Amino acid sequence: MGHRLRSLRFRLGALVRRDRLETEMDEELRLHLERQSEENERAGMSPGEARRAAQLAFGSVDSLKEECRESWGVQLFDSVSQDVRFGLRGLRRNPGFTAVVVLTLGLGIGANTAIFSVVSGILLRPLPYREGDRIVALRHDTPNTNASDLGFSVPELQDLRRLSTSLDVVSEYHQMNFTLLGGAEPLRVRTAVVSAGFFDMLGVQPAFGRGFRAEDEAHGAEAVLLLSHAYWRQAFGGDPGVVGRRFQMNDKPHLVIGVLPPLPAFPGEDDVFMPATACPFRERAAATGNRQARLLSGYARLRPGATPEAARAELTALMAGLAQEHKDAYTAGAVPALAADPVRELMVRDARPTFLILLTTVGLVLLIACANVANLALARLFDRGKEIAVRAALGAGRTRLLRQLLTESTILALAGGVVGLLFAAATHGAIVGFAARFTPRASDVQLDGSVLVFTLAISLLSGLVFGSLPGLPSAELLARAASSDDGRLTAGPGRQRVRSALVVAQVALSFTLVIAAALLLRSFAKLRAVDPGFQVENVVAVPIDVNWSSFLSEERRTDVERLSAFHVAFQERVAALPGMLQVGSAYTFPLNNQFRNDGSLLIEGREATANPSRAEFLGTSPDYFRALNVPLREGRFFSLDDRRGTGDVVIVSESLARREFGGSAVGGRLSFDRGETWRTVVGVVGDIRQAALSEAPRPTLYLPFAQFPSFSFSLILRASLPPEALVASVREAARSLAPDTAVGAPRTLDQIRHESIASPRLTALLLSLFAGLALVIAAAGLSGVLAYAVSQRTREIGVRVALGAAPRDVLRLVMRQGMAPLLAGLALGVVAALGLSRLVSRLLFGIEPTDPLCFGGSLAVLLAVGVLACLLPARRAVAVEPMQALRLP
Amino acid sequence: MEKPGLDLLQGTLDLLVLRILAPGPQHGWGISQRLQASSQEVLRVNQGSLYPALYRLEREGWITAEWGASDNNRRARFYRLTKAGRRQLEAETETWQRMTAAVARVLQTA
Repeated sequence: MGHRLRSLRFRLGALVRRDRLETEMDEELRLHLERQSEENERAGMSPGEARRAAQLAFGSVDSLKEECRESWGVQLFDSVSQDVRFGLRGLRRNPGFTAVVVLTLGLGIGANTAIFSVVSGILLRPLPYREGDRIVALRHDTPNTNASDLGFSVPELQDLRRLSTSLDVVSEYHQMNFTLLGGAEPLRVRTAVVSAGFFDMLGVQPAFGRGFRAEDEAHGAEAVLLLSHAYWRQAFGGDPGVVGRRFQMNDKPHLVIGVLPPLPAFPGEDDVFMPATACPFRERAAATGNRQARLLSGYARLRPGATPEAARAELTALMAGLAQEHKDAYTAGAVPALAADPVRELMVRDARPTFLILLTTVGLVLLIACANVANLALARLFDRGKEIAVRAALGAGRTRLLRQLLTESTILALAGGVVGLLFAAATHGAIVGFAARFTPRASDVQLDGSVLVFTLAISLLSGLVFGSLPGLPSAELLARAASSDDGRLTAGPGRQRVRSALVVAQVALSFTLVIAAALLLRSFAKLRAVDPGFQVENVVAVPIDVNWSSFLSEERRTDVERLSAFHVAFQERVAALPGMLQVGSAYTFPLNNQFRNDGSLLIEGREATANPSRAEFLGTSPDYFRALNVPLREGRFFSLDDRRGTGDVVIVSESLARREFGGSAVGGRLSFDRGETWRTVVGVVGDIRQAALSEAPRPTLYLPFAQFPSFSFSLILRASLPPEALVASVREAARSLAPDTAVGAPRTLDQIRHESIASPRLTALLLSLFAGLALVIAAAGLSGVLAYAVSQRTREIGVRVALGAAPRDVLRLVMRQGMAPLLAGLALGVVAALGLSRLVSRLLFGIEPTDPLCFGGSLAVLLAVGVLACLLPARRAVAVEPMQALRLP
Repeated sequence: MEKPGLDLLQGTLDLLVLRILAPGPQHGWGISQRLQASSQEVLRVNQGSLYPALYRLEREGWITAEWGASDNNRRARFYRLTKAGRRQLEAETETWQRMTAAVARVLQTA
């Protein structure tokens, strides 16, 4: 209604123009009186008479003014500001109460704000791409041969791009390492090699400079690169002048054409982006049209109206057609299944369960805090009985009193909200770092407008919850309080029931959280206790990247001879360094869950089936197993004689030997190139957890590094010196053989293991913190309510003592009163915990969500804390002096 | 805050003020004179009670006020009917007439 709005605008205007309205009103009334007196004089009265008559006709000026003010409609605001002033004064008079409430609510609101900022940033906010929900990742599986995530070759992506009607743009992506030269040190640069149209597909413009153009991908074009925002900040201090500069990387100068805006670290964690032609290996595959060189990932934008399901069906049919057409390039009998998964889902899949559990947790913590504050407010209400009764007697209506109480709780809640925001801002960096362990979208986590709105909303809501829970004492109670000497209200049984119910809820919720925390802690303890199958003490991994362009043959192929010669010489030099006990190397370090290299196997003497065995492949140097202290179960380790052309040998892991050979594997033969070459098993080694502690060892096939060398590998050193002392001499050894070699930062396997379980550790830690907070708050609540009950029963206890009750009896009396809500809460909590633990079960390792030890342990903790919380007030009851208690008015 | 029984009086005063303003702008004192004159002194209202009514009508947007010079060249606040006020006057006049007619009928027949 326009009329309503006009009226409201007037009222608000009146509020702002208050002073002017007042002076105008004064003037108008004065003028009226003057005019009337004049008229009266003209009618023949004396001046004094005239003025008196005018005033008589006018009425009482003061009460009229008050009426006028009411007409402006500002009295509501007046009384609100009065409430606020009154509330602030009351809170200042009670600094203890105020501090406890603001701090409790602040912690609760702060934890909610921090967790919500992550949920909002990664789960609610759209991707920072244009219509990001249409970006999909292509996936190539052949489920009937157990092969997953096969990747795509250059010709395959070209065909799909040409044939698909559900995909708009198809881009390729793969990762490789380049070496940045010309600085103090050769540095490894993690490089994404993508189609020139990759960023157009995402709908992303560079923050500075230009993006890729089709020409950049042409053969012989100048080598160009785009910097990721994070790398630009880290390596160039955020200097926009870096655009247009050239950097020597491997064998070419590369021109920086632009800097990307902050984006999710997706598809991978990359420092720079280069157009597809930058990678010589991908180029060779493109030139030869090799369909089996599936080293690429595919990303695409769905056409408007196309669904991922439709794309999946279409791509699967297309791929089946390609397999028919090029029979030689596809495993006979393998049925392709392609998927087009929205990348948004892939990015947040790992984060969702953890953060939803954490959000639930902090929500419960806030509820528990609200219950406590409500209890405190209730107690305070009774202490203020006289004040309230006096105000009621002076004419404050019930609504007015209730509004006063709500105003107070709103002030407290808003102050709590401010404390919470400060808390969230202070922990923002840590929480973003935590989120980054689960999702590449951590950069989207911000304390932005929507988070502020959320904080404001939960602050007001909690103010409302704890402000309205205590309710108002009845008029009769108020009357009694006003007439009593100490001005306190006596809690009726109903009110005490409300307080007990609050305590029951608090105990139940905190019990639930303690159980969830216990489950995660025990799960983490199990995880940490897992034997990885190798030694972590005194073993160091150093990432090594050789400049691959200096190990290419004339036709741009890997010069295996030279590379493996470098490798052998390098190992020898390092082994000769002082303090080295064992020196090995492998494609990667253990517990690297980013590394995957699997393929299918044929076993000699066994019929080739449509469903071949699969295994992980890892190239290792002769002393790799010795450096890691991996036991030899059978046969021998590799030796320096297992070079190129000296015999095709492999080592298999224990689980592979058992699965494929049913026991002794040495002497058995297998092939991983579909029968072209048969390799003899010369040794069986113990299983190790290569990917993660939480993952059972994958059956693994070890290849001699000298026959299958890699440009990028991990040096594994067992040494008697600390890693920092080793790295300089390792660098020296690498430089003396190949000057452009990038030697990365050494990490001990202990650190690597620690790091690999950081996310479950931090999750368990966070949840334990929240559970601990909940427990403390609930214990304080229980103790407070009981203490209050004791103070109410002081006289009764005094009578009992006077009549001969022993301290033990008094103790029992009080404890019984305290234990009732505790036990009720625990019973309820078990039920609630069964629900929450199901939610947590996805995060558990090695234990059931109903783990009896966790339930029992949590019960014991809750009981102990609960009894302790009851004991404090109970001891006060025991100390009651009968005479003193009876003398109380 | 409103006391019962006051409503009728208030509403009536509002209606009269709107009616007095219908021919043209008028200041507070003028309105009070017109009120007394046209009702032939029957309606005796404290002159001051006019002002809360004026402010209320202004808040509702039925009248607006402006400072100007009065007939004897003094400063005065002039009130003028707005479009919404004119509509309100019509509606209230009709209601009033229907009600008084109804009351009259009851008084005659009962």
